[in-house]
Amino acid sequence: MAMLRNLTIPLLILTCTASLIWWAFPERLSTARTLGIVLGWAGCSLLLVSLLLMLRETWLAQWLGGLERMYQWHHWTGTTAYVLLLAHPLILAADAWPNSRLLAWQTLSPFNQGWPIWSGWLSLLLLMSGLAATFILRIPYQIWRWLHFGLGIGVLLGLVHLTLLGISEPVLPILALAISFLGWRLIRDDFGVAARPYVVGSVKSVAEDIVEISLKPLAEPTVITPGQFILVAFFTGQKFCGRGEFHPFTVSSVSADHEICIAVKALGDCTRHIQSIEPGTLARMHGAFGTFLADRPPKPQLWVAGGIGIIPFLALLRTGPVDQPTMLLYLYRTEVDAAFLHELRTLANLDQQLSLKALATGDEAPDLKSLLDTQGLAKYECYLCGPPAMVAALRKYLHNRDVTPQQIHFEKFEFR
Amino acid sequence: MRLLYIFATLIFWLLVAAFWAGSLWLPPAEKSAAIAVGKSISPTELAKHSTPENCWVAIRGNVYDLSAYLPKHPSQPDILPSWCGKEATEAYNTKTKGRPHSIYADELLIKYQIGILASGKS
Repeated sequence: MAMLRNLTIPLLILTCTASLIWWAFPERLSTARTLGIVLGWAGCSLLLVSLLLMLRETWLAQWLGGLERMYQWHHWTGTTAYVLLLAHPLILAADAWPNSRLLAWQTLSPFNQGWPIWSGWLSLLLLMSGLAATFILRIPYQIWRWLHFGLGIGVLLGLVHLTLLGISEPVLPILALAISFLGWRLIRDDFGVAARPYVVGSVKSVAEDIVEISLKPLAEPTVITPGQFILVAFFTGQKFCGRGEFHPFTVSSVSADHEICIAVKALGDCTRHIQSIEPGTLARMHGAFGTFLADRPPKPQLWVAGGIGIIPFLALLRTGPVDQPTMLLYLYRTEVDAAFLHELRTLANLDQQLSLKALATGDEAPDLKSLLDTQGLAKYECYLCGPPAMVAALRKYLHNRDVTPQQIHFEKFEFR
Repeated sequence: MRLLYIFATLIFWLLVAAFWAGSLWLPPAEKSAAIAVGKSISPTELAKHSTPENCWVAIRGNVYDLSAYLPKHPSQPDILPSWCGKEATEAYNTKTKGRPHSIYADELLIKYQIGILASGKS
Protein backbone atom coordinates (compact mmCIF):
# COMPACT_ATOMS: atom_id res chain seq x y z
CA MET A 1 0.00 0.00 0.00
CA ALA A 2 2.84 2.38 0.93
CA MET A 3 4.56 1.52 -2.38
CA LEU A 4 1.36 2.40 -4.26
CA ARG A 5 1.09 5.71 -2.39
CA ASN A 6 4.69 6.51 -3.34
CA LEU A 7 3.89 5.92 -7.01
CA THR A 8 0.81 8.14 -7.23
CA ILE A 9 2.65 11.43 -7.82
CA PRO A 10 5.12 10.08 -10.47
CA LEU A 11 2.18 8.39 -12.23
CA LEU A 12 0.16 11.60 -12.12
CA ILE A 13 3.07 13.58 -13.61
CA LEU A 14 3.68 10.95 -16.30
CA THR A 15 0.02 10.69 -17.31
CA CYS A 16 -0.57 14.45 -17.37
CA THR A 17 2.63 15.24 -19.32
CA ALA A 18 2.37 12.35 -21.79
CA SER A 19 -1.28 13.09 -22.64
CA LEU A 20 -0.64 16.79 -23.13
CA ILE A 21 2.39 16.17 -25.36
CA TRP A 22 0.50 13.50 -27.32
CA TRP A 23 -2.38 15.91 -27.90
CA ALA A 24 -0.20 18.86 -28.87
CA PHE A 25 2.64 17.04 -30.68
CA PRO A 26 3.43 19.08 -33.82
CA GLU A 27 3.70 17.42 -37.20
CA ARG A 28 5.94 18.19 -40.16
CA LEU A 29 8.13 20.64 -38.25
CA SER A 30 11.90 20.61 -37.88
CA THR A 31 13.36 18.59 -34.99
CA ALA A 32 14.47 21.70 -33.09
CA ARG A 33 11.10 23.43 -33.40
CA THR A 34 9.29 20.22 -32.40
CA LEU A 35 11.56 19.91 -29.36
CA GLY A 36 10.98 23.56 -28.39
CA ILE A 37 7.19 23.10 -28.55
CA VAL A 38 7.26 19.78 -26.67
CA LEU A 39 9.39 21.29 -23.87
CA GLY A 40 6.89 24.14 -23.55
CA TRP A 41 3.98 21.71 -23.13
CA ALA A 42 5.98 19.52 -20.70
CA GLY A 43 6.75 22.61 -18.60
CA CYS A 44 3.08 23.60 -18.68
CA SER A 45 2.04 20.14 -17.47
CA LEU A 46 4.61 20.10 -14.64
CA LEU A 47 3.46 23.54 -13.46
CA LEU A 48 -0.14 22.36 -13.35
CA VAL A 49 0.83 19.32 -11.24
CA SER A 50 2.96 21.61 -9.06
CA LEU A 51 -0.12 23.75 -8.34
CA LEU A 52 -2.14 20.67 -7.36
CA LEU A 53 0.64 19.54 -5.02
CA MET A 54 0.54 22.76 -2.97
CA LEU A 55 -3.02 22.09 -1.75
CA ARG A 56 -3.27 21.25 1.95
CA GLU A 57 -6.12 18.77 2.14
CA THR A 58 -5.89 15.69 4.34
CA TRP A 59 -7.73 13.43 1.84
CA LEU A 60 -5.45 14.58 -0.99
CA ALA A 61 -2.35 14.06 1.17
CA GLN A 62 -3.54 10.50 1.91
CA TRP A 63 -3.93 9.75 -1.81
CA LEU A 64 -0.60 11.25 -2.74
CA GLY A 65 1.60 9.77 0.01
CA GLY A 66 1.58 12.60 2.57
CA LEU A 67 1.92 16.37 2.67
CA GLU A 68 5.70 16.27 3.06
CA ARG A 69 6.01 14.12 -0.03
CA MET A 70 3.65 16.45 -1.91
CA TYR A 71 5.88 19.41 -1.03
CA GLN A 72 9.05 17.63 -2.14
CA TRP A 73 7.43 16.88 -5.51
CA HIS A 74 5.96 20.42 -5.63
CA HIS A 75 9.53 21.76 -5.46
CA TRP A 76 10.83 19.24 -8.01
CA THR A 77 8.04 19.79 -10.56
CA GLY A 78 8.26 23.57 -10.18
CA THR A 79 12.04 23.71 -10.68
CA THR A 80 12.04 21.21 -13.57
CA ALA A 81 9.21 23.10 -15.29
CA TYR A 82 11.21 26.31 -14.94
CA VAL A 83 14.27 24.73 -16.62
CA LEU A 84 12.14 23.31 -19.47
CA LEU A 85 10.40 26.65 -19.98
CA LEU A 86 13.75 28.47 -20.14
CA ALA A 87 14.84 26.05 -22.86
CA HIS A 88 11.56 26.48 -24.81
CA PRO A 89 12.17 29.96 -26.37
CA LEU A 90 15.90 29.32 -26.76
CA ILE A 91 15.32 26.20 -28.87
CA LEU A 92 12.68 27.96 -30.99
CA ALA A 93 15.22 30.75 -31.63
CA ALA A 94 17.98 28.22 -32.34
CA ASP A 95 15.72 26.64 -34.98
CA ALA A 96 15.74 29.91 -36.96
CA TRP A 97 19.50 30.53 -36.49
CA PRO A 98 20.84 28.54 -39.54
CA ASN A 99 18.53 30.48 -41.90
CA SER A 100 18.73 33.92 -40.35
CA ARG A 101 20.46 35.21 -37.23
CA LEU A 102 18.16 38.23 -37.30
CA LEU A 103 15.06 36.01 -37.34
CA ALA A 104 16.53 33.95 -34.47
CA TRP A 105 16.86 37.08 -32.31
CA GLN A 106 13.44 38.38 -33.41
CA THR A 107 11.89 35.04 -32.36
CA LEU A 108 13.36 35.46 -28.87
CA SER A 109 13.38 39.21 -28.37
CA PRO A 110 10.54 40.90 -26.46
CA PHE A 111 11.25 44.19 -28.27
CA ASN A 112 9.01 45.07 -31.23
CA GLN A 113 6.59 42.35 -30.11
CA GLY A 114 3.10 42.32 -28.62
CA TRP A 115 1.29 40.69 -25.71
CA PRO A 116 1.59 37.12 -27.05
CA ILE A 117 5.36 37.28 -26.50
CA TRP A 118 5.41 39.80 -23.63
CA SER A 119 3.15 37.53 -21.55
CA GLY A 120 5.58 34.65 -22.13
CA TRP A 121 8.50 36.81 -21.02
CA LEU A 122 6.61 38.16 -17.99
CA SER A 123 5.74 34.61 -17.00
CA LEU A 124 9.39 33.55 -17.18
CA LEU A 125 10.57 36.60 -15.21
CA LEU A 126 7.99 35.97 -12.46
CA LEU A 127 9.05 32.32 -12.24
CA MET A 128 12.68 33.48 -12.12
CA SER A 129 12.13 35.98 -9.28
CA GLY A 130 9.88 33.62 -7.29
CA LEU A 131 12.43 30.82 -7.44
CA ALA A 132 15.28 33.23 -6.67
CA ALA A 133 13.41 34.08 -3.45
CA THR A 134 13.27 30.38 -2.63
CA PHE A 135 16.80 29.36 -3.60
CA ILE A 136 19.07 32.39 -3.21
CA LEU A 137 17.72 35.33 -1.28
CA ARG A 138 17.58 35.35 2.51
CA ILE A 139 14.48 37.46 2.95
CA PRO A 140 11.75 37.83 5.60
CA TYR A 141 8.95 35.27 5.42
CA GLN A 142 6.27 37.85 4.45
CA ILE A 143 8.24 39.08 1.42
CA TRP A 144 9.07 35.51 0.47
CA ARG A 145 5.34 34.65 0.55
CA TRP A 146 4.48 37.45 -1.86
CA LEU A 147 7.27 36.53 -4.26
CA HIS A 148 6.19 32.90 -4.04
CA PHE A 149 2.63 33.98 -4.79
CA GLY A 150 4.10 35.67 -7.88
CA LEU A 151 4.98 32.17 -9.11
CA GLY A 152 1.25 31.42 -9.35
CA ILE A 153 0.70 34.60 -11.39
CA GLY A 154 3.65 33.51 -13.57
CA VAL A 155 1.90 30.20 -14.30
CA LEU A 156 -1.32 32.00 -15.28
CA LEU A 157 0.59 34.43 -17.54
CA GLY A 158 2.27 31.46 -19.23
CA LEU A 159 -1.17 30.08 -20.05
CA VAL A 160 -2.32 33.52 -21.24
CA HIS A 161 0.75 33.49 -23.53
CA LEU A 162 -0.56 30.27 -25.12
CA THR A 163 -4.10 31.65 -25.45
CA LEU A 164 -2.84 34.82 -27.17
CA LEU A 165 -0.88 32.65 -29.58
CA GLY A 166 -4.27 31.35 -30.72
CA ILE A 167 -4.09 27.98 -28.95
CA SER A 168 -7.41 27.80 -27.12
CA GLU A 169 -7.59 24.00 -26.85
CA PRO A 170 -6.56 22.51 -24.45
CA VAL A 171 -5.25 25.71 -22.86
CA LEU A 172 -8.58 27.12 -21.64
CA PRO A 173 -9.43 24.01 -19.54
CA ILE A 174 -5.86 24.04 -18.17
CA LEU A 175 -6.18 27.75 -17.35
CA ALA A 176 -9.48 27.03 -15.55
CA LEU A 177 -7.79 24.23 -13.55
CA ALA A 178 -4.82 26.44 -12.64
CA ILE A 179 -7.13 29.25 -11.44
CA SER A 180 -9.14 26.69 -9.42
CA PHE A 181 -6.02 25.31 -7.72
CA LEU A 182 -4.69 28.79 -6.90
CA GLY A 183 -8.10 29.96 -5.64
CA TRP A 184 -8.52 26.77 -3.61
CA ARG A 185 -5.15 27.23 -1.95
CA LEU A 186 -5.74 30.91 -1.27
CA ILE A 187 -9.30 30.73 0.06
CA ARG A 188 -9.49 27.33 1.75
CA ASP A 189 -5.90 27.04 2.98
CA ASP A 190 -4.27 30.48 3.35
CA PHE A 191 -7.42 32.38 4.40
CA GLY A 192 -8.27 29.39 6.60
CA VAL A 193 -11.85 28.82 5.37
CA ALA A 194 -11.31 25.04 5.54
CA ALA A 195 -9.45 25.19 8.87
CA ARG A 196 -11.11 24.18 12.16
CA PRO A 197 -11.47 26.69 15.02
CA TYR A 198 -9.60 26.11 18.30
CA VAL A 199 -8.77 28.22 21.33
CA VAL A 200 -5.57 28.23 23.38
CA GLY A 201 -6.25 26.51 26.75
CA SER A 202 -2.89 26.79 28.48
CA VAL A 203 0.70 27.80 27.75
CA LYS A 204 3.68 26.27 29.55
CA SER A 205 7.39 26.96 29.13
CA VAL A 206 9.12 23.57 28.86
CA ALA A 207 12.69 24.64 27.98
CA GLU A 208 14.55 27.70 26.82
CA ASP A 209 12.66 29.19 23.84
CA ILE A 210 10.13 26.32 23.81
CA VAL A 211 6.50 26.53 24.95
CA GLU A 212 3.88 23.79 25.02
CA ILE A 213 0.45 25.11 24.01
CA SER A 214 -2.80 23.23 24.57
CA LEU A 215 -5.61 23.79 22.05
CA LYS A 216 -9.29 23.12 22.75
CA PRO A 217 -11.70 22.52 19.85
CA LEU A 218 -14.49 25.08 19.34
CA ALA A 219 -16.28 22.92 16.75
CA GLU A 220 -15.95 19.36 15.47
CA PRO A 221 -12.42 18.28 16.48
CA THR A 222 -9.74 16.98 14.15
CA VAL A 223 -8.79 13.29 14.36
CA ILE A 224 -5.08 13.17 15.21
CA THR A 225 -2.69 10.33 16.05
CA PRO A 226 0.74 10.62 17.74
CA GLY A 227 3.51 11.36 15.25
CA GLN A 228 1.31 13.56 13.10
CA PHE A 229 1.63 17.29 12.56
CA ILE A 230 -0.89 20.04 12.03
CA LEU A 231 -0.84 23.50 10.44
CA VAL A 232 -1.88 26.13 12.96
CA ALA A 233 -2.46 29.88 12.64
CA PHE A 234 -2.87 32.02 15.77
CA PHE A 235 -5.08 35.09 15.78
CA THR A 236 -5.91 37.55 18.55
CA GLY A 237 -6.14 37.09 22.32
CA GLN A 238 -6.58 39.69 25.06
CA LYS A 239 -3.10 41.14 24.55
CA PHE A 240 -1.55 38.76 22.04
CA CYS A 241 -1.87 39.73 18.38
CA GLY A 242 -1.24 36.73 16.14
CA ARG A 243 -0.10 36.93 12.54
CA GLY A 244 -2.65 34.49 11.14
CA GLU A 245 0.04 32.54 9.24
CA PHE A 246 -0.26 28.76 9.06
CA HIS A 247 2.89 26.97 10.27
CA PRO A 248 3.49 23.25 10.85
CA PHE A 249 3.74 21.97 14.43
CA THR A 250 4.06 18.38 15.63
CA VAL A 251 1.46 17.29 18.14
CA SER A 252 2.92 16.53 21.59
CA SER A 253 -0.23 15.00 23.07
CA VAL A 254 -3.78 14.07 22.18
CA SER A 255 -6.27 13.68 25.03
CA ALA A 256 -9.54 11.77 25.12
CA ASP A 257 -11.58 15.02 25.10
CA HIS A 258 -9.86 15.99 21.81
CA GLU A 259 -7.71 18.66 23.44
CA ILE A 260 -4.31 18.62 21.79
CA CYS A 261 -0.91 20.04 22.65
CA ILE A 262 1.82 21.34 20.39
CA ALA A 263 5.36 22.39 21.28
CA VAL A 264 6.66 25.55 19.62
CA LYS A 265 10.36 26.37 19.49
CA ALA A 266 11.47 29.93 18.65
CA LEU A 267 13.16 29.27 15.32
CA GLY A 268 11.99 32.33 13.35
CA ASP A 269 10.10 35.64 13.70
CA CYS A 270 6.66 34.03 13.91
CA THR A 271 7.56 31.21 16.33
CA ARG A 272 9.44 33.69 18.56
CA HIS A 273 6.31 35.85 18.66
CA ILE A 274 4.24 32.79 19.63
CA GLN A 275 6.38 32.34 22.77
CA SER A 276 4.34 35.18 24.32
CA ILE A 277 0.94 33.68 23.44
CA GLU A 278 -1.74 33.65 26.14
CA PRO A 279 -4.73 31.43 27.00
CA GLY A 280 -7.90 32.46 25.18
CA THR A 281 -6.15 33.25 21.89
CA LEU A 282 -8.09 32.03 18.89
CA ALA A 283 -6.47 29.61 16.46
CA ARG A 284 -7.37 27.73 13.28
CA MET A 285 -6.01 24.35 12.30
CA HIS A 286 -5.49 22.32 9.13
CA GLY A 287 -4.70 18.63 9.37
CA ALA A 288 -3.68 16.28 10.64
CA PHE A 289 -0.91 15.18 8.28
CA GLY A 290 1.94 12.68 8.32
CA THR A 291 2.45 8.98 8.92
CA PHE A 292 5.79 9.13 10.72
CA LEU A 293 5.04 6.66 13.55
CA ALA A 294 2.12 4.88 11.84
CA ASP A 295 2.23 1.20 10.81
CA ARG A 296 5.23 0.34 12.97
CA PRO A 297 6.20 -3.33 12.44
CA PRO A 298 6.47 -5.72 15.45
CA LYS A 299 10.26 -5.39 15.72
CA PRO A 300 12.66 -3.76 18.23
CA GLN A 301 12.67 -0.03 17.72
CA LEU A 302 15.40 2.59 17.76
CA TRP A 303 14.13 6.13 18.15
CA VAL A 304 16.60 8.98 17.78
CA ALA A 305 15.48 12.53 18.59
CA GLY A 306 17.44 15.75 18.20
CA GLY A 307 16.18 18.75 20.21
CA ILE A 308 12.54 19.59 19.41
CA GLY A 309 12.48 16.33 17.37
CA ILE A 310 11.53 14.57 20.63
CA ILE A 311 7.89 15.72 20.22
CA PRO A 312 6.42 12.88 18.06
CA PHE A 313 8.03 10.25 20.33
CA LEU A 314 6.74 12.02 23.44
CA ALA A 315 3.21 12.13 21.96
CA LEU A 316 3.31 8.35 21.45
CA LEU A 317 4.79 7.62 24.88
CA ARG A 318 2.09 9.75 26.52
CA THR A 319 -0.58 7.39 25.12
CA GLY A 320 0.77 4.43 27.14
CA PRO A 321 3.58 1.83 27.31
CA VAL A 322 5.36 0.86 24.09
CA ASP A 323 4.47 -2.52 22.56
CA GLN A 324 8.01 -3.42 21.39
CA PRO A 325 11.47 -3.19 22.99
CA THR A 326 12.33 0.44 22.29
CA MET A 327 15.56 2.36 22.70
CA LEU A 328 15.14 6.15 22.73
CA LEU A 329 18.24 8.26 22.17
CA TYR A 330 17.51 11.92 22.99
CA LEU A 331 20.19 14.41 21.95
CA TYR A 332 20.06 18.10 22.83
CA ARG A 333 22.54 20.98 22.88
CA THR A 334 22.60 21.87 26.59
CA GLU A 335 20.59 20.93 29.69
CA VAL A 336 18.40 24.06 29.35
CA ASP A 337 17.36 22.88 25.88
CA ALA A 338 16.27 19.43 27.14
CA ALA A 339 12.50 19.81 26.91
CA PHE A 340 10.39 17.16 28.68
CA LEU A 341 13.49 15.28 29.96
CA HIS A 342 12.11 14.82 33.46
CA GLU A 343 8.81 13.45 32.10
CA LEU A 344 10.66 11.12 29.71
CA ARG A 345 12.75 9.71 32.56
CA THR A 346 9.58 9.06 34.57
CA LEU A 347 7.96 7.31 31.58
CA ALA A 348 11.09 5.19 31.02
CA ASN A 349 11.14 4.15 34.71
CA LEU A 350 7.51 3.00 34.45
CA ASP A 351 7.92 1.13 31.14
CA GLN A 352 9.94 -2.11 31.16
CA GLN A 353 10.37 -2.14 27.37
CA LEU A 354 11.57 1.46 27.04
CA SER A 355 15.20 2.43 27.58
CA LEU A 356 16.18 6.10 27.48
CA LYS A 357 19.61 7.51 26.74
CA ALA A 358 19.74 11.32 27.00
CA LEU A 359 22.82 13.36 26.20
CA ALA A 360 23.83 17.00 25.88
CA THR A 361 26.05 17.21 22.79
CA GLY A 362 27.00 20.90 22.87
CA ASP A 363 27.72 22.43 19.48
CA GLU A 364 29.66 19.39 18.28
CA ALA A 365 28.20 16.57 16.19
CA PRO A 366 27.51 13.56 18.46
CA ASP A 367 29.84 10.54 18.35
CA LEU A 368 27.29 8.04 17.02
CA LYS A 369 29.66 5.08 17.36
CA SER A 370 29.84 5.48 21.13
CA LEU A 371 26.09 6.12 21.43
CA LEU A 372 24.69 3.27 19.33
CA ASP A 373 25.33 -0.46 19.55
CA THR A 374 27.26 -1.12 16.33
CA GLN A 375 26.68 -4.90 16.30
CA GLY A 376 22.93 -5.35 16.56
CA LEU A 377 21.60 -2.31 14.70
CA ALA A 378 20.37 -4.31 11.68
CA LYS A 379 17.59 -5.87 13.75
CA TYR A 380 16.07 -2.47 14.66
CA GLU A 381 13.36 -0.47 12.96
CA CYS A 382 14.79 3.06 13.12
CA TYR A 383 12.80 6.30 13.51
CA LEU A 384 14.72 9.60 13.25
CA CYS A 385 13.49 13.11 14.00
CA GLY A 386 15.71 16.14 14.36
CA PRO A 387 17.77 18.72 12.45
CA PRO A 388 18.43 17.79 8.77
CA ALA A 389 22.21 17.46 9.34
CA MET A 390 21.67 15.04 12.23
CA VAL A 391 19.18 12.94 10.26
CA ALA A 392 21.54 12.83 7.26
CA ALA A 393 24.49 11.73 9.45
CA LEU A 394 22.37 9.08 11.14
CA ARG A 395 21.05 7.68 7.86
CA LYS A 396 24.61 7.33 6.55
CA TYR A 397 25.79 5.75 9.80
CA LEU A 398 22.91 3.25 9.93
CA HIS A 399 23.28 2.41 6.24
CA ASN A 400 26.96 1.57 6.83
CA ARG A 401 25.87 -0.82 9.58
CA ASP A 402 23.59 -2.92 7.36
CA VAL A 403 20.35 -1.16 8.25
CA THR A 404 18.29 -1.14 5.02
CA PRO A 405 16.57 2.05 3.78
CA GLN A 406 13.19 0.33 4.40
CA GLN A 407 14.07 0.15 8.11
CA ILE A 408 14.85 3.88 8.37
CA HIS A 409 11.92 6.28 8.82
CA PHE A 410 12.24 10.06 9.02
CA GLU A 411 10.49 13.28 8.10
CA LYS A 412 12.25 16.37 6.75
CA PHE A 413 9.60 19.04 7.44
CA GLU A 414 10.77 21.18 4.50
CA PHE A 415 7.69 23.34 4.06
CA ARG A 416 9.03 26.68 3.01
CA MET B 1 17.85 22.10 -6.90
CA ARG B 2 19.45 25.39 -5.89
CA LEU B 3 22.43 24.69 -8.14
CA LEU B 4 20.15 23.61 -10.99
CA TYR B 5 18.26 26.92 -10.69
CA ILE B 6 21.45 29.00 -10.66
CA PHE B 7 23.09 27.20 -13.60
CA ALA B 8 19.93 27.13 -15.72
CA THR B 9 19.30 30.86 -15.15
CA LEU B 10 22.91 31.81 -15.92
CA ILE B 11 23.01 29.71 -19.09
CA PHE B 12 19.65 31.15 -20.20
CA TRP B 13 20.84 34.77 -19.96
CA LEU B 14 24.18 33.91 -21.60
CA LEU B 15 22.38 32.34 -24.57
CA VAL B 16 19.92 35.27 -24.82
CA ALA B 17 22.95 37.59 -24.95
CA ALA B 18 24.54 35.33 -27.59
CA PHE B 19 21.40 35.49 -29.80
CA TRP B 20 21.36 39.29 -29.45
CA ALA B 21 25.07 39.55 -30.29
CA GLY B 22 24.54 37.23 -33.27
CA SER B 23 21.85 39.55 -34.64
CA LEU B 24 24.27 42.50 -34.53
CA TRP B 25 26.89 40.84 -36.75
CA LEU B 26 24.77 39.74 -39.69
CA PRO B 27 26.34 38.06 -42.74
CA PRO B 28 26.40 40.53 -45.72
CA ALA B 29 23.59 38.69 -47.58
CA GLU B 30 21.23 38.87 -44.61
CA LYS B 31 22.12 42.53 -43.99
CA SER B 32 21.19 43.55 -47.54
CA ALA B 33 17.95 41.56 -47.28
CA ALA B 34 17.06 43.47 -44.13
CA ILE B 35 17.60 46.80 -45.92
CA ALA B 36 15.41 45.71 -48.84
CA VAL B 37 12.16 45.57 -46.81
CA GLY B 38 10.94 48.88 -48.26
CA LYS B 39 11.40 47.72 -51.87
CA SER B 40 8.39 47.96 -54.24
CA ILE B 41 7.44 44.60 -55.80
CA SER B 42 5.06 44.30 -58.74
CA PRO B 43 2.34 41.60 -59.01
CA THR B 44 4.25 40.18 -62.00
CA GLU B 45 7.41 39.83 -59.94
CA LEU B 46 5.33 38.33 -57.13
CA ALA B 47 3.86 35.70 -59.48
CA LYS B 48 7.36 34.47 -60.41
CA HIS B 49 7.84 33.19 -56.84
CA SER B 50 5.08 30.59 -56.76
CA THR B 51 6.76 27.39 -55.66
CA PRO B 52 7.15 26.07 -52.09
CA GLU B 53 10.93 26.49 -52.41
CA ASN B 54 10.56 30.09 -53.61
CA CYS B 55 7.35 31.31 -52.07
CA TRP B 56 6.43 34.99 -51.97
CA VAL B 57 2.97 35.96 -50.70
CA ALA B 58 1.23 39.37 -50.65
CA ILE B 59 -0.89 40.13 -47.58
CA ARG B 60 -2.48 43.49 -46.75
CA GLY B 61 -0.26 45.35 -49.21
CA ASN B 62 3.06 43.86 -48.11
CA VAL B 63 5.10 41.10 -49.74
CA TYR B 64 6.60 38.32 -47.64
CA ASP B 65 9.14 35.64 -48.55
CA LEU B 66 7.69 32.62 -46.75
CA SER B 67 10.04 30.01 -48.29
CA ALA B 68 11.85 29.45 -44.97
CA TYR B 69 8.64 29.54 -42.91
CA LEU B 70 6.65 27.10 -45.07
CA PRO B 71 7.80 23.90 -43.27
CA LYS B 72 6.90 25.47 -39.90
CA HIS B 73 3.33 26.49 -40.78
CA PRO B 74 0.94 24.50 -38.58
CA SER B 75 -1.85 23.98 -41.20
CA GLN B 76 -2.32 21.08 -43.64
CA PRO B 77 0.78 20.80 -45.92
CA ASP B 78 -1.02 21.83 -49.16
CA ILE B 79 -2.79 24.96 -47.85
CA LEU B 80 -0.06 27.57 -47.72
CA PRO B 81 1.92 26.52 -50.87
CA SER B 82 -1.23 27.07 -52.96
CA TRP B 83 -0.99 30.79 -52.13
CA CYS B 84 2.66 31.18 -53.21
CA GLY B 85 3.05 33.99 -55.80
CA LYS B 86 -0.45 35.36 -55.03
CA GLU B 87 -2.31 38.01 -53.10
CA ALA B 88 -3.59 36.13 -50.02
CA THR B 89 -5.12 38.79 -47.75
CA GLU B 90 -8.60 37.24 -47.75
CA ALA B 91 -7.25 33.76 -47.07
CA TYR B 92 -5.10 35.16 -44.27
CA ASN B 93 -8.07 36.94 -42.71
CA THR B 94 -10.35 33.89 -42.85
CA LYS B 95 -8.45 30.78 -41.79
CA THR B 96 -10.18 27.80 -40.16
CA LYS B 97 -13.92 28.47 -39.60
CA GLY B 98 -13.54 32.08 -40.87
CA ARG B 99 -11.29 33.21 -38.03
CA PRO B 100 -8.46 35.67 -38.78
CA HIS B 101 -4.87 34.78 -37.90
CA SER B 102 -3.71 35.70 -34.38
CA ILE B 103 -1.79 38.85 -33.40
CA TYR B 104 1.22 36.58 -32.99
CA ALA B 105 0.92 35.49 -36.62
CA ASP B 106 0.87 39.19 -37.64
CA GLU B 107 4.05 39.79 -35.68
CA LEU B 108 5.70 36.68 -37.05
CA LEU B 109 4.84 37.79 -40.59
CA ILE B 110 6.75 41.09 -40.18
CA LYS B 111 9.99 39.13 -39.88
CA TYR B 112 9.53 37.74 -43.39
CA GLN B 113 8.66 41.04 -45.15
CA ILE B 114 10.75 41.75 -48.23
CA GLY B 115 8.85 44.66 -49.77
CA ILE B 116 5.61 46.45 -50.60
CA LEU B 117 3.18 45.28 -53.30
CA ALA B 118 3.14 47.79 -56.17
CA SER B 119 -0.32 48.67 -57.56
CA GLY B 120 0.66 48.50 -61.29
CA LYS B 121 1.50 45.50 -63.49
CA SER B 122 5.13 46.44 -64.23
